[in-house]
Amino acid sequence: MFTMLRRRALSSVVPLLVVVLGVFFLARLTGDPANLYLPLSATPEMRADFAARNGFDQPLVTQFGDYLAQVARLDFGESLRTAQPAAEAVLRAFPATLQLAGWTMLLALVGAVVIGSVAAYRPNSATDRIASFLSSTAASVPDFWFAIMGVLVFAVTLGWLPTSGTNGGAAWILPVATLLIRPFGVLVQVVRGAMVSALSAPYVKVARGKGASEARVVFGHALRNAAAPVLTVAGDLAVGLVNGAVVVETIFGWPGIGKLMIDSVLQRDFAVLQAAVLVTALAIFALNILVDVCHALLDPRVRLRAAA
Amino acid sequence: MLGTDKERGTAVASGRPGSRHRWLALLLQDRFAFAAALVLVVVALCAVLGPLLVGDLATRQNLRDPGREPFSLEHGWAYVLGSDSLGRPVAARMIAAASTTMSVAVPAVLCSLVVGSLWGMWAGFHGGWRESVSLRVADVILSFPSLLLAVVVLYVFSPSVAALVLVLAVARIPVYLRTARAESAELRSRLFMDAARTFGTGGWASIRRHVAPSVLPTLLTVAALDFCFVMLTESSLSFLGIGIQPPDVSWGLMVAQGRQELRSAWWIAVFPGLAIVVTTVSATVLAAWARLSTDPGQRWRRGLRGGGRRVRAKAGGAVADAPVPDEGLQSPAPDQDRAVAQDSHRDRDVTHDSRDRDVTHDGTATVTPPSESTRSDALAVESLCVDVHTPAGPAAVVRGVSFSVRFGETLALLGESGCGKSMTAHAVAGLLDPAAEVVGGQARLGGENLLTLTGRARRRLAGPGVGIVFQDALSALNPVQTVGAQLAEPFRIHERMSRRAARAEAVRLMERVGIPEARSRAGAYPHQFSGGMRQRLLIAMAVALRPRVLLADEPTTALDVTVQAQIMDLLGELRGEQRMALVLITHDLGLVADHADRVAVMYAGAVVETGPVARVFAKPNHPYTRGLLESVPAEQHKGGRLNSIPGSPPDPRSVPAGCAFRTRCPMAREVCATRPPTLSPTGADRAAACHFGKELADA
Repeated sequence: MFTMLRRRALSSVVPLLVVVLGVFFLARLTGDPANLYLPLSATPEMRADFAARNGFDQPLVTQFGDYLAQVARLDFGESLRTAQPAAEAVLRAFPATLQLAGWTMLLALVGAVVIGSVAAYRPNSATDRIASFLSSTAASVPDFWFAIMGVLVFAVTLGWLPTSGTNGGAAWILPVATLLIRPFGVLVQVVRGAMVSALSAPYVKVARGKGASEARVVFGHALRNAAAPVLTVAGDLAVGLVNGAVVVETIFGWPGIGKLMIDSVLQRDFAVLQAAVLVTALAIFALNILVDVCHALLDPRVRLRAAA
Repeated sequence: MLGTDKERGTAVASGRPGSRHRWLALLLQDRFAFAAALVLVVVALCAVLGPLLVGDLATRQNLRDPGREPFSLEHGWAYVLGSDSLGRPVAARMIAAASTTMSVAVPAVLCSLVVGSLWGMWAGFHGGWRESVSLRVADVILSFPSLLLAVVVLYVFSPSVAALVLVLAVARIPVYLRTARAESAELRSRLFMDAARTFGTGGWASIRRHVAPSVLPTLLTVAALDFCFVMLTESSLSFLGIGIQPPDVSWGLMVAQGRQELRSAWWIAVFPGLAIVVTTVSATVLAAWARLSTDPGQRWRRGLRGGGRRVRAKAGGAVADAPVPDEGLQSPAPDQDRAVAQDSHRDRDVTHDSRDRDVTHDGTATVTPPSESTRSDALAVESLCVDVHTPAGPAAVVRGVSFSVRFGETLALLGESGCGKSMTAHAVAGLLDPAAEVVGGQARLGGENLLTLTGRARRRLAGPGVGIVFQDALSALNPVQTVGAQLAEPFRIHERMSRRAARAEAVRLMERVGIPEARSRAGAYPHQFSGGMRQRLLIAMAVALRPRVLLADEPTTALDVTVQAQIMDLLGELRGEQRMALVLITHDLGLVADHADRVAVMYAGAVVETGPVARVFAKPNHPYTRGLLESVPAEQHKGGRLNSIPGSPPDPRSVPAGCAFRTRCPMAREVCATRPPTLSPTGADRAAACHFGKELADA
C-alpha cells in the first residue's frame, strides 16, 4: 500500500509543478496590473515604483525563482488588492468550497448508487429507461442556467429560498442542487453501467444459486465489484466540481475559492491566483490519493498488485 | 456509417441491402434516437441558414417594443418568444445564436478529435517513452480544471471565437488521446498487428489500415459526448462574460443578459437555456444510440423486452401455453413429448408423494434419500422450452427437453456447444440471463415445479434442493470476497448460522474438497488459488447444503487433464457420500463414458437419445449419436480415416423443419423433412428421437 502511495505521489509531482509554472507565466501574460491599480494619470515613476515594490521589474525567470523560494518558506505573497497575505484569503475561501463540494459529492454518490442500482436491476425496463433519460438530461443541463431557473422559481416567484449568502440551511439548497446536477447525472449512468455488468457476472449467478436474497445479491456481491469504475469517475467529477464552483459561487455570491480565482484573474491579483491554484492543485492531488486508497480497500487484487 | 465494415458479418437485420439503409432503418426503429437526430438537424439548419433567415433582426434595437411577452404572433414569428428590454426578438436572437454556438463547437470538436486521436493512436501504437510522455501531458491538462484554464487563457488572448476554439480544443485533446491510446495499445498486443509488423508495414500505414478502423467508432461516440461538453463550456464562458462578446449572440450570453431582467422578463433567460438543454440531450441520446448500434456485444439488449425476469416467473407448467415461434422453429409436438416422458418414468409416481412431503413442507436441508430400489427420480424435466430474445425475435434454444435423474445417479447431458445443454441447466436452476425466458415445460424436484417457483420459495431450494457448479471458476467466484466468506454464505443464508459457526463449516468444507491448509487459506481471495483449487472451492460451495441435485456445467473444461480427473473423482465421491443426483453437462464423450450412468444426447435444443451409457455407446439408436461416436479416434481405427459429421449445427433462429438433424443425417428420407420425430422408446430404458430409431435398435 505504501509503495503504491509513494509511487503515486512521485508521479504527481511533475503535473503539479507544470500547473504552478503554467499559472505563473500565463497570469503574467494577462496584462500589466499597474493599469488596474494605478490611476490613468500615473507617472512613469509611479509605475516603476509599483513594479519595483511588487518585483514586476525583474525578468520573469527571476520572478519565478523568487516565487518558488517564497513558497518553500510557505510565504505566498500579498494580495495586490487588499495588501493582506494571499494565503489568508485562500484559506478563508477554501473551507466554504470544500463544504459545498463535500456535501455535493456525498449526495450525488448516495443518490446515484441507489438510482443507478435500481435502474440496472432490470435493464431496459420502464424504470431503467426513465432513469437513463433523466440522468442524461441532468448531465446535459448547463449549471448556470439551472441555477438561474432555481432562483426564478424558488427565490423570485415563490420566495422560499434566498438568492445568495451562506446563512442558514435554506441558503445551501440552490448552490448544492446546482453543483450536484451534472455529477449526479453522470454518476447514475456510470453506476448503472457498472451494475449491469456486475449483475450479469457468473459470481452473481452463483450467489443466486446459493439462495441469496436479491438484496444480498445486489448489495453484498454486485455493488462492491461495481465500485471501481464509479470511484474513478467520481474522482474525475470531483476535480470538475472546481469548474462548477466557479459558476455557482459567482451566481450565488458564495465566498469560496472559485469566486476568489475568477476575481483574482479579473483583478490581476497574481499572488492570490497563484496561491488559490496551488491549493486547488494540492487538493486534487490529495483527492487522487484518496481515490487510490479506496480502490485498494475495495479490491484485494489492487492491493496485491501494489505490493508486488 | 460507424463501423459498418466490422458489422457486416454479424448483421442481424437481414434482407436489407446496403449499410446506409440499414442505419437509417435502425434509426427509425428507435423513436427516441430519431427525435434526437431531428433536433440536431434543425439546430444545424438554424446554424447554417440562420443568418439569412434572421438578417439583422437579432441585433436591431426596437425601443418601441421592449419586453414583449412570449406566445403571441401579433408582431410576426420573430416575436413568438417575446422580446428583450431593447426590443430585440428572442426567437430571432436564438436562431442567430445557434450559428455562433456551432461555429465554436464544431471546429473545436473537430480539432481535438483529429489531433487527439492521431496523437493517441501514434502513442499507443509505438508504446514506450512516446506513450508515457503523451499520457503525462494528458494528465497535466486534465488535472487542471478546464474552465479555469479557459478563463486564464482567454485573458491572455482576449475573448474571440478563434481563442475559444483553441482553448476548448486544447482542453479536450487529452480525452481523445487517452481513448485512442488505450484502444490502439490493446490492438498492439494482438496477433494480427505482429503479422503486420512482420510484413514490414510502416507505422502510419499500419495505423491507417488496422488501428484507425477499429478505434474510430469509439472515438466518434466520444466526440458526440464531447460536443455537449464543448457547448456547455462555451455557454458557461459566455455567461461569465469571457466567451462570445456582444454584439455577437450566444445562448450563454442570452442567459446572462436574461439574468439581469429575471424579475421583469423571465423568458429571456428561459428559452436560450432550454435550447442548450435540448441540443445537448439530443447529442447524448444519439451518442448512446450509436454506441449501442456499433457494439455487437451490446446489440442484443435492443431485442430485450423490459423486465425479462418477471416474464419468466409467469411461465406456467403447461406446455400448451407456450407461444409458438415462427414456422420452422416449431417445437416438437408437446403432448407426445410429455407422454413419452411420463411413459418412461411411470414407475416413479408411486413413491413420489410420500417423500416429497418430507422435503417440501418442513423445508429441512437434509433428506434421507430412498434406497436405490425405489428408483425415485430426484429431478424430472419435462418438455422444457427456453427462448432467447434477440433483435430478430425469439430464438428457441431449448425445444422440449425431457430427462430425469435418480438419487445417487449420474446423468450426462451430452452435446456440442450451442446445443442448449447449459441453457437447460440454468433454466432448471433458475439462473437464466434476462434475455432468456422459459416458455414451457416443467422441472419437478420432489413435488414442486422449479420453473414456476418465485422469490422466497425458489431461494429456499437454491442450495439444499439444487446446487450448480459453473465452468469458469475464476469468474464464478466473487473476486472481492474471501473464499471463506463465500463458502460460509450458504450456511448463513439457509441455516442462519453465526458468522463463526458458518466459518467453521466453510473450513470443514474446504478440507473435505482437498484444499491444503484450509484454516489459513479461508482468508485468501479467489485469484490467489490455482484453477483446480478454484474449481474445488466452487464444488464445495455447491454441495455445502447437501443438495438433492447437483448440476455440473462443464466442470472440468477449463482444467488440464490430470486436474480434470481429480475433480471428476471428487464429484463422484461426493455424489456417493451425499446420495445426490448428479447432472453432468459436457461435450466430452470420454468423460461421459468414464463417469456417467446414463446419458441424454442433445442436438439443436432437444434430447435426441437417452439410455444407459454403456448401451448407448455400444449401439447408438440415433444417427447423431452414432456420428459423434464415430468422430472419436479409437484404438481399433488406428491409421484409418477419422469420420466426422458433415456440416454444422443449425442456428437456433433457423432450425430446419421436420427433424433438426436431417440436413446432416446420412439416413435422412422424405418423412424427416415433414414430420418432426419424437423421443420414443427403442428398448428397455432407452429412447431416441428418430423415425428410424427402432430400425437402428433392431439392426
